[in-house]
Amino acid sequence: MRRFWILIAALLPAALALPPALAGESVNAYSIWPENWARPMFQEFEKATGIKVNFVRFSSGEALARVIAEKNNPRVDVLFGGPVETHAAGIKEAIFEPYKPPSFNVLPARFRHAEGQWVAIADDPLVFMSNTKFLKENNLKPPMSWNDLLHPAYKNMLQMADARTSGTAVTRIFSILEVYGRDEDKAFDYMKKKRRNVQVYTKSGGGGTLPVGLGQAGAGIFFIVDALDTQQKGYDVAISFPTEGIGTAAEAIALIKGAKNPELGKKLIDWAASPAMQSLFAKYKINFVPAHPEMKVEASLAEVLKGAKIFPIDDQYAGANRKRVVERWVNEVLSLKE
Amino acid sequence: MAGIAGTWMERWRRTLRDPALFATVLVLWVFLVLFILFPLARLLGRTFLDGGQFTLANMAAILQDSNHRQAFWNSLLLAALVGLCGTVLGFLYAFTAVRANLPRGWIMILDACSILPLVSPPFTTAIAMIFSFGPRGLITYHLFGIKGFTVYGLHSTLFSETLTYFPIAYLTLKPILAAIDPNVEDMAFSLGSPRWRVFRTVTLPLTIPGLANAFLLLFAASLADFATPLILAGNSFPVLPTQAYLQITGLFDLKGGAVLSFVLLVPALVVYLLQRYWVGRRYYVTITGKVGAQTTIKSLAPWARAPLLGLCLLIAAAILYFYVLLFYASVVVALGANHAWTWHHYEVIFTEGLKAIRDTLIIAGLGMPLGGLYGILLGYLVGKKHFPGRQTMEVVSMINYSLPGTIVGIAYLIAFNDPPLILTGTALVIVACYVFRYSPTGIRATVALLQQIDPSIEEASESLGASSGTTFRRITLPLIVPAFFAGLGVVFIRSMTAISATIFLVSINWTLITVRILENMTELSLGPAAAFSILVVVIVFAMIALISSLLRRFRAAGVVEVTSILGG
Amino acid sequence: MSAVSIRIDGVSKQFAHRVKGEVYAVRDVSLTVQPAEFVTLLGPSGCGKTTTLRMIAGFEQPNSGRIFIGGQDVTGLMANQRNIGFVFQNYALFPHLSVFENVAYGLRVQRQSDAAILRAVGEVLAMVGLQGYEQQFPNQLSGGEQQRVALARAIVIRPRVLLFDEPLSNLDAKLRVHMRGELRELQKRLDITAVYVTHDQEEAMAISDRIAVMHQGAIVQEGTAEDLYRRPASEFVAQFIGRTNLLSARVLAAGAAGVEIELASQRIRVPDETARVAAGETVRVVVRPEVINVYAAESGSGVPGTIVSRTFLGEKAEYQVQVGAEILQVTSYDPVRRGTFAPGQQVRLSFPAEGIQLLRGEAQCRRP
Repeated sequence: MRRFWILIAALLPAALALPPALAGESVNAYSIWPENWARPMFQEFEKATGIKVNFVRFSSGEALARVIAEKNNPRVDVLFGGPVETHAAGIKEAIFEPYKPPSFNVLPARFRHAEGQWVAIADDPLVFMSNTKFLKENNLKPPMSWNDLLHPAYKNMLQMADARTSGTAVTRIFSILEVYGRDEDKAFDYMKKKRRNVQVYTKSGGGGTLPVGLGQAGAGIFFIVDALDTQQKGYDVAISFPTEGIGTAAEAIALIKGAKNPELGKKLIDWAASPAMQSLFAKYKINFVPAHPEMKVEASLAEVLKGAKIFPIDDQYAGANRKRVVERWVNEVLSLKE
Repeated sequence: MAGIAGTWMERWRRTLRDPALFATVLVLWVFLVLFILFPLARLLGRTFLDGGQFTLANMAAILQDSNHRQAFWNSLLLAALVGLCGTVLGFLYAFTAVRANLPRGWIMILDACSILPLVSPPFTTAIAMIFSFGPRGLITYHLFGIKGFTVYGLHSTLFSETLTYFPIAYLTLKPILAAIDPNVEDMAFSLGSPRWRVFRTVTLPLTIPGLANAFLLLFAASLADFATPLILAGNSFPVLPTQAYLQITGLFDLKGGAVLSFVLLVPALVVYLLQRYWVGRRYYVTITGKVGAQTTIKSLAPWARAPLLGLCLLIAAAILYFYVLLFYASVVVALGANHAWTWHHYEVIFTEGLKAIRDTLIIAGLGMPLGGLYGILLGYLVGKKHFPGRQTMEVVSMINYSLPGTIVGIAYLIAFNDPPLILTGTALVIVACYVFRYSPTGIRATVALLQQIDPSIEEASESLGASSGTTFRRITLPLIVPAFFAGLGVVFIRSMTAISATIFLVSINWTLITVRILENMTELSLGPAAAFSILVVVIVFAMIALISSLLRRFRAAGVVEVTSILGG
Repeated sequence: MSAVSIRIDGVSKQFAHRVKGEVYAVRDVSLTVQPAEFVTLLGPSGCGKTTTLRMIAGFEQPNSGRIFIGGQDVTGLMANQRNIGFVFQNYALFPHLSVFENVAYGLRVQRQSDAAILRAVGEVLAMVGLQGYEQQFPNQLSGGEQQRVALARAIVIRPRVLLFDEPLSNLDAKLRVHMRGELRELQKRLDITAVYVTHDQEEAMAISDRIAVMHQGAIVQEGTAEDLYRRPASEFVAQFIGRTNLLSARVLAAGAAGVEIELASQRIRVPDETARVAAGETVRVVVRPEVINVYAAESGSGVPGTIVSRTFLGEKAEYQVQVGAEILQVTSYDPVRRGTFAPGQQVRLSFPAEGIQLLRGEAQCRRP
């Protein structure tokens, strides 16, 4: 009797270890874009090409860590979305396969990697987002300068992303560096001052949007996609830009080296880097700025961006210094006691 | 000492003479080595080896970071506080439930409320805490008008974890308090001792092993908690499991993550050893609850009853409040912004989230019988049979259970992503993780039940002509079946609610509800996160009800409460 | 089925003790039980009687020696191959089975038909007086009822021998007395060989054909109750069976006419021709309390003594009498008619010659 059980117990795991049968063509991807946006895009892709996309959503840090950990035996074909500095860090680990989709040559230089390690599919400026009620209560206007965030009224009321796990944060930090002319000491000085007002650094880039929307926090720095999403959900928030300028990060896509379905992966990249996908942003209320030059910015989005001073982040510079800067941020800014 | 060497040889000979026993032991060892020792070894390898050389450099690099050191002390502090508060709270609850002469109805309410936190998916209290105690929290701001109260930090994490884990102390202490014969206290009274003195000199000393055990259990639980601090601890109060997680997922530093896990291993190991050798095996749930002559319990002054009950109900109400809030969040469009009634979130989880639900149920469904079987088999072998290495086998089987989930997850990630055994991306690795982490409860229940079975019962069967196989099948097995079901139940429930280990193991092909909850939360889709959570709670309660009814049907030597098993 | 004999031949059993080293639980024990005989192994706890019984049953293997049941060498057989019936001290009923299923268990193992089982179980339950209890569960029964179920379960399979391991020790006194009679009667009716283990000497004497007294792993004396009472082989047996006074006496002369001894300054000629003692030696003598006669001090003859205590028990009165440095137990029957003595009273004791037993010259056993 016991032998019977042992037999069953031995067979079952064997069955589970077999990789699942793939019905029809499908491609595997880690998506750094949230489900709500990745899913409709992939569904449209399937409609257009018949290829199914199996994906799991991770934040940029997690996704990169996964891909690197799986280097010897990649589980996915494509790394979809995510601020470009994430991909830049990945290049060092040799996890990507260079590939130039058809739209490669028309893309501006900052929207593509010279050797094709990645291409941009969208542009995502950072914005300030603040809670209207909070502003009213404290008699404030929406912040128009980086220094506005140092105002004492914001004490313990700011939320923004943690640089250890979020690309948003890294973009933010490099924006600040740019504003201070890459003088690290001055920039870190500012960040330390701002730290005093920060309630919490969130794990994901958009993690602070809900608290700001609810009024749990007064303001924060987010990518425009997340900020506008919050506004569109019905939360009473205001979007503003600092006059000194704020950075924008391209959202990229890349082919994984050693991918099991490289051809299908390439098809996905082709589609994503072209107007085919980027024209769908407006339809699904995804507030990215399309990367493809033929794409016009959607009207209401353009309205929000009017007059804002937005500069691109130099991905070479960012990629080279990311680790060191983040470590410095962790040691000097994050661990500051109130 | 020819005699003693003789017994050892005799044991070997006896084992070899019984081929079924030998084969089973061998197979079990294969599994134990593969799924417990091998990943741990790889983890240690990552920590201490560099290119094949033993090195402490990795450890040094991590320990030099003051943030990590702070996390270590924070973890210990938090765990100690949670242990303390949770034990006191649990004792209060248990004392009220057992000694306050409450009608059954009240006791059932207290029981039900104490189960809720134990079987819930992660983050449930965290979400509610933020809503209630954040700067614009329902309670802090809207109710009390307090501004600028910060919800992130040690205090909320402590509060949340205490509420989540005190049921463990409650379930540990309740049978102990119940087993103290009220006649003993009566006798003290008859000798003229005032109530407080009786409590101090009679009741309390008898409870001390239970208190120590409860403290250790809670300490270990808090040490391993990954989910709550992730949301509530904030940046000024880092703790180890979250640090390890962030090290890997944020800084892509697998080596650093391994080291941090190892650091976490040390206090976990100490707790395990303390529990095993100091508090002793008195932990096992007493199964036959034979109570002496019923005397009305006088140890509690009548005037004290109402306040105690009131306090317990207050806590129960707090727990219920969190769940009501959770449910509310799942049925409004956007909590805090748009309170229109909607079922949309449930629609979402059953369409977009269907894969996660299906995957989780499949994995839990697979893990359940495997875990139950493994639990009862190992428990029987370890509890009844004698073979060389028996004690070692028992200790090894407990390892994954005693370790914080983060360590196990990272170990599995490291061990099974490269040859010789590539399992990441399959369901097997998740199922294996659950089976070898949560079966020990079933193992312990089996051993406990076996201890309750007098050997003379099996001898009686033998004297009536039955072979050992028949005896096992017709006598032993029916008597330990309650442990089987309890083990089943625990594996299933924990499979539904676990996250700290398996967050490292999800993949394209297999994803879990708990991970989706986390994703939803970080994507600010609170509605679906809440809806998923409610779904998990409903499923888990359904399973508990099912198992309880199955247990009631078995008129065995005693009825095992599933919930008390959960305490372990 | 006709009864069978049991023979154990030079059986020994050792255990390895962590501190003491090797310990002999049973040391070279030999015993023969005749067919349909009721033999009791009697002794204090730890004397090896239960181990011996368990070796007959097959639950323990002897380190040396052989065991025969019905002439067949069963030493190497397991318990389930010996066709024995064993009644445990704690009854060992299967808690998850009904009374019917408990009793039917052995028959089901033998794969008997349902009809045959129904009949056999009904019969045997009637025999033990538990008709109508079929659907009860063990936890619903009293101690005595559980004991009878255990008995029924053991005999329904028609074993060759019945083995009892202190089956009555968990019952209250009156029930014990009642049950032991029933057990004995049942054994006689079934005409089955039985070996019984107990530490209660009264119980042993009441129901056994023969008793084997065990002490420290060995049989120190075997015989009928009367044999053991009248001619104890050692101090140990003398003190274990019944109450006794153990005194020292000096031998004055020994010969064909008996042994003349000086006991408590009295000269008594004991009619014992087989004693191997010489003049001048000191022997131990056994004087049962009921053989001593006690008179009022005024009667003149006899050993003077003082009543230390008196216990009136209805049909007898037990006295403790101080004689010189010793305190003697004296039992006097029919005290209501014959009168009693009060504590502190001076009395005289006489020792009738035929009531004195000389202890055989065997090695003195240490007091247990």
